[in-house]
Amino acid sequence: MLAHLTIVPGVGLALGDMLFYAICFIILMWLIKLVAWKPVNKMMQDRADKIANDIDSAEQSRTDAAKLAAQRQEALANSHKEASSIVSDAKQQGQQTRTSLLADAQSDVQTLKSNAQKDIEQERQDALSNAKNDVADLSIEIASKIIHKELNANDQKALIDSYIEGLGKHNES
Amino acid sequence: MGDPSSVPTFKFLGLTFNADNVISGLIAFIIVFLLVFALSRKLTMKPGKGQNVLEWIIDFTNGILKGQIPGNEASAFGLYGFTLFLFLFVSNELGLFIQIAVGGKDYVKSPTSDPMITLTFSLATIMLAQFAGVAKLGYKQHFRNYLKPFVFWLPISIFEEFTNFLTLGLRIFGVIYSGEMLLKIIGQMAFSHGIATLIVSVPIEMIWQGFSLFLGAIQAYVFLTLSSVYISRKLEAE
Repeated sequence: MLAHLTIVPGVGLALGDMLFYAICFIILMWLIKLVAWKPVNKMMQDRADKIANDIDSAEQSRTDAAKLAAQRQEALANSHKEASSIVSDAKQQGQQTRTSLLADAQSDVQTLKSNAQKDIEQERQDALSNAKNDVADLSIEIASKIIHKELNANDQKALIDSYIEGLGKHNES
Repeated sequence: MGDPSSVPTFKFLGLTFNADNVISGLIAFIIVFLLVFALSRKLTMKPGKGQNVLEWIIDFTNGILKGQIPGNEASAFGLYGFTLFLFLFVSNELGLFIQIAVGGKDYVKSPTSDPMITLTFSLATIMLAQFAGVAKLGYKQHFRNYLKPFVFWLPISIFEEFTNFLTLGLRIFGVIYSGEMLLKIIGQMAFSHGIATLIVSVPIEMIWQGFSLFLGAIQAYVFLTLSSVYISRKLEAE
């Protein structure tokens, strides 16, 4: 059967077929290489590279994100500290202001009080001295009126005595 | 087909050509090329449908080669394996769909149902294996492998090469040829005794066609696997 198929009677082996197939196969290989093999393999290689790169860059961005998170945490802690220091500063300042204001007010009140006391004393002194003067004038007026009316020896004498007495008292005091 | 007169021949440049094989082979080559050409349009980083199919086939044939050939050397035979697999697969299935006979002579059938064609490819594989062996190991080491495990083994080693060549080609031929033969016999039976045999034959024909489809795929796979085995054996110094 093999002889029937491969060896055509009278003309020998169909070598032409073998040659035809070999050449066609080589041409087909070349065409496939040109059309599909090279571009597809290149694409597959590119994809493999891209996936590897993506994995690398994902790792990179993950570490970056972790770094950023740490930085933010630190900044947050710092701002906490800063805020608390600001608050405590403000508190201290407020305390200081309060005490100084209180002290000022106290001293002001003290001054005002002492001034008022001084003024009152002055007023009192002035009023007293005025009253004394008035009393003296009045008594002199009264005295002159009495003297003009009746001045006898006894009375004169008594007057002089009292005057002298008054002088002495005046000197004593 | 067993009848010599069923083979249409012509002569060209002093060589005998079989018109049947030439036409069927051209059809198979064109189908393979168009298939690959259609699938490889619009290549993108994110593969579409066609590109996915093509990449799956490439991965499949590369997987067969890498399973047998160690290291990076498999990639050198990737294109050969890919083209061989696709061509054999299409050739095996071609005769299941189209068989054209004019005036008692076949014009289109499976190219692989002719032993000349299958032996052409097995010869190509054996030659490629020899070439790869010489290219990797050098002439001295390559031919020293024929003397392993001892010097008197030489005739057996040479004979083994010859039997490898024959079995590789004849295995696929036998399966495809017998498959087509049986299809033809069932077809003849269908029209032999009117409607009764036709009804009986149709399911049998369909079942056998499906089985032949499966066998054709298996044979293409086996051919490529054995090719890679033969190549890998030549690549290592024993």
